[in-house]
Amino acid sequence: MHIPENYLSPSTCALATVAMLPVWASAIKHVHEEVPREKIPLIGVAAAFSFLAMMFNIPLPGGTTGHAVCGTLIAILFGPWSATLAVSIALAIQAVFFGDGGILSLGANCLNMAFVLPFVGYSIYRALKDRLGGQRGELIAAGVGSYVGLNAAALLCALEFGIQPLLFHDASGAALYCPYPISVAVPAMMLGHLTVAGFAEVVFTVGILAFVRNAAPSFGIESHKAAPGIPTPILGLIVALIVACPLGLIATGDAWGEWSTEDLAGMVGYTPAGLGNGWEWSALMPDYAVGSLPAWVGYIISAVIGVALLVIIFRLMAGSARPAVDFDA
Amino acid sequence: MADTHTDIPSWLTTPEHYRPGSDRDGFISRSLLSITSALAFFRLDDGREARFSPSAPIKLVVAFVCILLVSLSRNYLFVLVMLAALLVRACLLPQASLARMMGGAASAAAFSLVIMLPAILLGQAHAPLLLATKAFVSVGITLCVALTTPVWKLTHALRSFRVPSIAILTIDLALRSIVRLGETAAEVLCALSLRSVGRNRNKGAAIGGVGGVVLLKASRSSQETYDAMRCRCFDGEYRASSRATLKPADAAWALLLIGLVALFAYLQGLV
Repeated sequence: MHIPENYLSPSTCALATVAMLPVWASAIKHVHEEVPREKIPLIGVAAAFSFLAMMFNIPLPGGTTGHAVCGTLIAILFGPWSATLAVSIALAIQAVFFGDGGILSLGANCLNMAFVLPFVGYSIYRALKDRLGGQRGELIAAGVGSYVGLNAAALLCALEFGIQPLLFHDASGAALYCPYPISVAVPAMMLGHLTVAGFAEVVFTVGILAFVRNAAPSFGIESHKAAPGIPTPILGLIVALIVACPLGLIATGDAWGEWSTEDLAGMVGYTPAGLGNGWEWSALMPDYAVGSLPAWVGYIISAVIGVALLVIIFRLMAGSARPAVDFDA
Repeated sequence: MADTHTDIPSWLTTPEHYRPGSDRDGFISRSLLSITSALAFFRLDDGREARFSPSAPIKLVVAFVCILLVSLSRNYLFVLVMLAALLVRACLLPQASLARMMGGAASAAAFSLVIMLPAILLGQAHAPLLLATKAFVSVGITLCVALTTPVWKLTHALRSFRVPSIAILTIDLALRSIVRLGETAAEVLCALSLRSVGRNRNKGAAIGGVGGVVLLKASRSSQETYDAMRCRCFDGEYRASSRATLKPADAAWALLLIGLVALFAYLQGLV
């Protein structure tokens, strides 16, 4: 679901980024107002879950791959605005350091995975949780919310891909950017996400949520208990996910819409002009790989760097936040 | 009752209508700002050791070898391994130290990127990124050592490497004097800004004044420090017992360092 560079026209990217600017501003404002200062570093840990979940690629029908995002999970634990901020920063790190998703298309990726996904998932979770009640009901609500949230994001992503050939083509009718129309993009994306990736999101969300509720109940915004640091069980889970993340390499092939320019040219018979001549960012570790070394080495180092960066960014954010002092207390 | 009006001088009863001419105080505020930031940078006395920190001499050796290997490395993976290790260590630093370390390291990386901007614009982004990562890691390691080691332990560590006493004395006093004299300079500049009401055409002359005051203070301070040290029987020799400073964690750090050198040699062979 990470839209690469040049698959969307610059105007589509600009529109998505402009649409996200007030969302990001609002997210920062809400996080500063609603999340206690000592809990802000824990959003970084939750963002690390999202970062790691996105590294577990799963084979999808049609020979492509997909992954979970855990946006609904972060929304449940820290609120939807925190999820927007956390997933946005995770996506930015992936784009800048690992070339996963484009720099220009970061706004579109954030719109899909950091805004639509957590808000849709969280709304469904809230609606169902109140009706079902109990911890089992909460987990069912989280599962349904995360499934619908991920598919809503995938649908929006497919629509963004699909409108490209309709709006941007040359005189001969050849697409300038993504060449697949809505009639191809939507079924291709949704088939994999409705059947497999959506359930992967459910497994990640429900599994981690159940673990957190049992092993570290103070992790999350609902608990008012002061959190002096990262709870040990959560730290253990993060380390386990880092060690296990090379499992994502078992799924061979690319995700739908994330092919290289050469692969795409091979599939459609020509190189779309915008893709061939477009701007390309030279990432630190493109596709989480380092030269000719085994892919799992690059994967683990990428996971460590990504998780550490997220924790540092949110700790610095907590440091810059004003302490909430209640003088009436 | 006496007439109170007769007691007030006539010049005091007339409104003054004094309007000081507007003037820019960029010189003073910029100087104050730079001195304050330099002070914040040099105030190294807040170093706190972590639970598994090695002793100061081993820490200096590990840091020096790491920086050397990062500088020499032609394999990007080695730099990334060091980056990952540094970031994990940074996660465990206290809030204030983390902010200082990340600020310093990120500034160094950003500076490298700016210097190499023409290469990025010409489409050669890999070398600038490598250079920026190396700058980030090297500065990060240096700051990490400074922020997790008390100054007196650093001095002690230098002595155990047989660095001449006069050099250690100079470094030790210089670090402390920079902070003290910086505070004096900040006070003098603050006084100057308070006295500079209205237009002051002689701000240039104030530089000499500030410098002169600081020089006099430095001279007096160094003499007083020397006298105080002589009174406490300091004969110019720093004595360090190498036996007492080593900790059990040092063995693990030494093994780690050997492993790092081996990894470096292996990865260099792959390039």
